[in-house]
Amino acid sequence: MLRLAWRNVWRNGRRSLINVAAMSFGLAAIMFGQSMMKSLQGQLIEKATGSFTGHVRIQRRDVDEPKFPDKFMTDPGRAAKLLQDDPRVLVWGRRIQLTGLVSAPKMSLGALICAVEPEKERAITDMATYMKEGVYLEGQPKGAVLGRKIAKRLDVRLGEKVVLMAQAADGSMGAEVFRVVGLQETGSESFDGQMVWIGLKAMQELLGRPGQANQLVAKLKDIDEASAVAADLDAKLGPGPIGALSWRSIDREIIGIQAFQDGLLTVVLGVVFAIVALGILNTQLMSLFERVREFGVLMAIGARPRWIVRLLVAESALLGGVGTSLGLAIGSGLIAYFGRRGLALPVGDAFKYFLPFPSVIYLRPSWGMHAFACATVFLVTLLATLPPALRAGRLKPAQALRHV
Amino acid sequence: MSSKHPRTHPLVEVRGVEKVYPGGAKVAAVRGVDLDIARGEFTALAGPSGSGKSTLLNLIGTLDRPTKGDILHDGRLVTKLDADQLSDFRLGALGFVFQAYNLIAVLTAVENVEYPLILRGMGAQERRAQALQALKWVGLEGCADRRPDLLSGGQQQRVAVARAIVHRPALVLADEPTANLDSKTGGALLDLMQSLNAEHGVTFLFSSHDPAVLSRARRVVRLQDGELRGEDRR
Repeated sequence: MLRLAWRNVWRNGRRSLINVAAMSFGLAAIMFGQSMMKSLQGQLIEKATGSFTGHVRIQRRDVDEPKFPDKFMTDPGRAAKLLQDDPRVLVWGRRIQLTGLVSAPKMSLGALICAVEPEKERAITDMATYMKEGVYLEGQPKGAVLGRKIAKRLDVRLGEKVVLMAQAADGSMGAEVFRVVGLQETGSESFDGQMVWIGLKAMQELLGRPGQANQLVAKLKDIDEASAVAADLDAKLGPGPIGALSWRSIDREIIGIQAFQDGLLTVVLGVVFAIVALGILNTQLMSLFERVREFGVLMAIGARPRWIVRLLVAESALLGGVGTSLGLAIGSGLIAYFGRRGLALPVGDAFKYFLPFPSVIYLRPSWGMHAFACATVFLVTLLATLPPALRAGRLKPAQALRHV
Repeated sequence: MSSKHPRTHPLVEVRGVEKVYPGGAKVAAVRGVDLDIARGEFTALAGPSGSGKSTLLNLIGTLDRPTKGDILHDGRLVTKLDADQLSDFRLGALGFVFQAYNLIAVLTAVENVEYPLILRGMGAQERRAQALQALKWVGLEGCADRRPDLLSGGQQQRVAVARAIVHRPALVLADEPTANLDSKTGGALLDLMQSLNAEHGVTFLFSSHDPAVLSRARRVVRLQDGELRGEDRR
């Protein structure tokens, strides 16, 4: 049967080729779209967690906005020990992050001041890699690193002094002089225009909060474990004022973007699947119409109706097999090519406003999704064949033989 | 093709068969037909176009169901069988030759002949040997690997005959088998059918309105307006 099915597939070679092309290019487009979306999402998550959020954070539960915790943990020791003891945690550090005022001789501006443990922060985020002038914070107890844009607005240069002011523990305004030791350029308006980085100890002194922090940030060995680790830590911390959150609960807008993109991808995939299905349906209906008499002959010489159905399904399976294999090859090739060369996308510039984000996306295969797409294209091919195949199986031999 | 046990009933018994096609006019294509075909016969159904020859052949060949009446093959009532049972019955007991040859275009001559054997689930080597034997009987052993488009009309019809007899059916039904052939080729095909009938005992029932073709039959059953109008035996 397979031999006959294979020859029948190529009986009208041009039509079959058009079908195979529609299927394979459709599948390649689906795979490319899947890879592009997932690579973009992956890169977005990597950048968001890798430049600021971290994978898991421990902070007060009663903060207004989890991304910018404004309340302090007076004794983070127990939480720190939990992170220290968890083998899934690669590195962790304390931070104080709050809004304050940065003043230069000519001007004062509102800023997001982020106080970190420099050695640990270097391993948690990639902010130290964006230094354009000067040095990062290690060994600079009274040093500050500013975004280039905020420095330009303040009209301060490397080596000059700025005064940072923020509300201290007793409600007064704490102020301290820092020397600009480094200037950063991430390409992100939010980071370069608002961020000031200083050492944790200096901030604790400025605020009169020795040993305190408003967040403990951890980078895990495997980001996919973030939710599980956060849930475990949260359970261990108990129902007190301090809780653990994964990046998914902090960067909720990324989850929103992800959901939107996945929805969009589903619609696009649905349309492509429908086009493939209609193409196959059309081919099989035309093939059925052209071969009605032949089916009559097959029935006359003893083929059972379901044998005819199986023959048509086998033809589609072969067509689908060729189309899917070719599509898989083309799609994988495209993903591999743009994985090496990168794909310049304007969407990168849009994300850049909020966080350091490259304009070039390096595609990565998402084999699970690609396998689903391949299986769906193949199944759609088979399903689209069923109506004409069942119709062929219901033909009456004498009627079919009279068909012109 | 010959029976091991003596049989008392005819190979085919047609009893009061009527066929009315659904539609507006409701004209009976065949009505009140009673006919017996014995084993080893070489019988022609004669009559002008529209006389019901093809309809009767289709009914006897179980390709169509009668509106009324019964048809028995070798004593078995076939008019009540379901679609699968009819397919199996045709596969075992009948062979068909069509006016337009109706070979499968994408298969070679020998593959076309093999087809009924494939449907019977016969092993590849055995069926190839049997198909080549059938092609030899029809004088086309040298054309086994040619596709139908590389064969002449006469050769294609010979392949169709080989396909019809390859599984040793009890009865071969041929609807106007020479209508698309010139007289010389048609005559050669009839020679072949006659020799298969004489040498291998194949029972043939064929239709024609061509007097030259009818003259070759040992029995001619005449049909007009769907009714039997007598018969001649030679």
